[in-house]
Amino acid sequence: MRLLRALFLVPIALGLLLTSFAAPAQTQKRRAAKPSSAVRASLPAVTQIDTDALKALLKRESQRPLLVNFWATWCDPCRDEFPDLVKIDQQYGHARLDFAAISLDDLKDIKTEVPKFLQQMNATMPAYLLNVPDPEPAITAVDPKWQGDLPATFLYNGKGEVVYKHFGRLNANELRAAIEKLVGSTQ
Amino acid sequence: MKKQNIGAILLAAVFIIAGSVIAGSGRATNGEIPAPPAIGTAIEDFMLPDVDGKDHALNSLKGKNGTVLIFIAVQCPVSNAYNERMEKLAQDFKPRGINVIGINANSTEDAAVVKAHATQKHLTFPILKDPGNKIADRLGATRTPEAYFLDANNKLLYHGRIDNSKDPAGVNASELREALDAALASKPIGKTTATAFGCSIKRA
Repeated sequence: MRLLRALFLVPIALGLLLTSFAAPAQTQKRRAAKPSSAVRASLPAVTQIDTDALKALLKRESQRPLLVNFWATWCDPCRDEFPDLVKIDQQYGHARLDFAAISLDDLKDIKTEVPKFLQQMNATMPAYLLNVPDPEPAITAVDPKWQGDLPATFLYNGKGEVVYKHFGRLNANELRAAIEKLVGSTQ
Repeated sequence: MKKQNIGAILLAAVFIIAGSVIAGSGRATNGEIPAPPAIGTAIEDFMLPDVDGKDHALNSLKGKNGTVLIFIAVQCPVSNAYNERMEKLAQDFKPRGINVIGINANSTEDAAVVKAHATQKHLTFPILKDPGNKIADRLGATRTPEAYFLDANNKLLYHGRIDNSKDPAGVNASELREALDAALASKPIGKTTATAFGCSIKRA
């Protein structure tokens, strides 16, 4: 009888023991969930712009050079090159170089896919989404020779002149060299 | 000693492969892509393989009233947004003597993938592979989708986008269709070039 009781009690004891171990793990999971929900709440802001706003953005009022990258979350080479752009933004800082990342995603993604990707990349540069009924005036305003292929990267000097451009996945060293030429000349 | 030699050879091989990969990816810039031919230029006949590896000359596929070449992709969401519109264009204009030909110049998408994609998306017009993107280079093609409309003598009449909007609901300018209609009616083409955003062609 004692043996039977022991056999009956052992699984219960084991169960209780396992529950006591599992409880802190669940608590930890809940604790871990809190920061990620806080991060979700602070997704980077993405500003919607039209062709006129794009033109205004490209018109240099400051003497700082401006780097503009056209990208989209659906564009693989854009996603591939983005870490390099984030590094370049961090390296040269807003005091020496203005930066605008302009997304060509759909407007419905302005509060979801676009800021989520920027957050994943730890991107802090000003971010925009170009929402235009006809893309041609915007493309032509940036560069009449650009056919609209993504990604596309343009570097403007303080006078608003394009001094470097690259279509397709960028070469970070080449871009750095172009920036340093400008940043050096403005110092 | 032998082991060291083998190690050195392996290391050299890794560097050579890595170097060629880096050099290959570095070529994907517009700086090295020739400008597209001017409107009015006659496009020389070319030969490209289809998705089964069979070679076709442009002149063997062209329509009696003209040909539309469209650079397309398997994985580009912009190109894919146009699958139905491209197929409809081909269906609408084939009876009127204009043939649509798709060209896939992406080095990242092989013939088997292109064939499977065409079947899945019900694309019935011929699709050619452009190995080494030679024709994309000759035509200065940079993105997908990107269209070239040639007349019966392969003279370039229109180059650029299919229409203004990836989303069919936002279309209010269909330059390619308008160019085809104008040419068939022997009227001047209102707009001979137009641009839109697209995926860059993944060159070899």
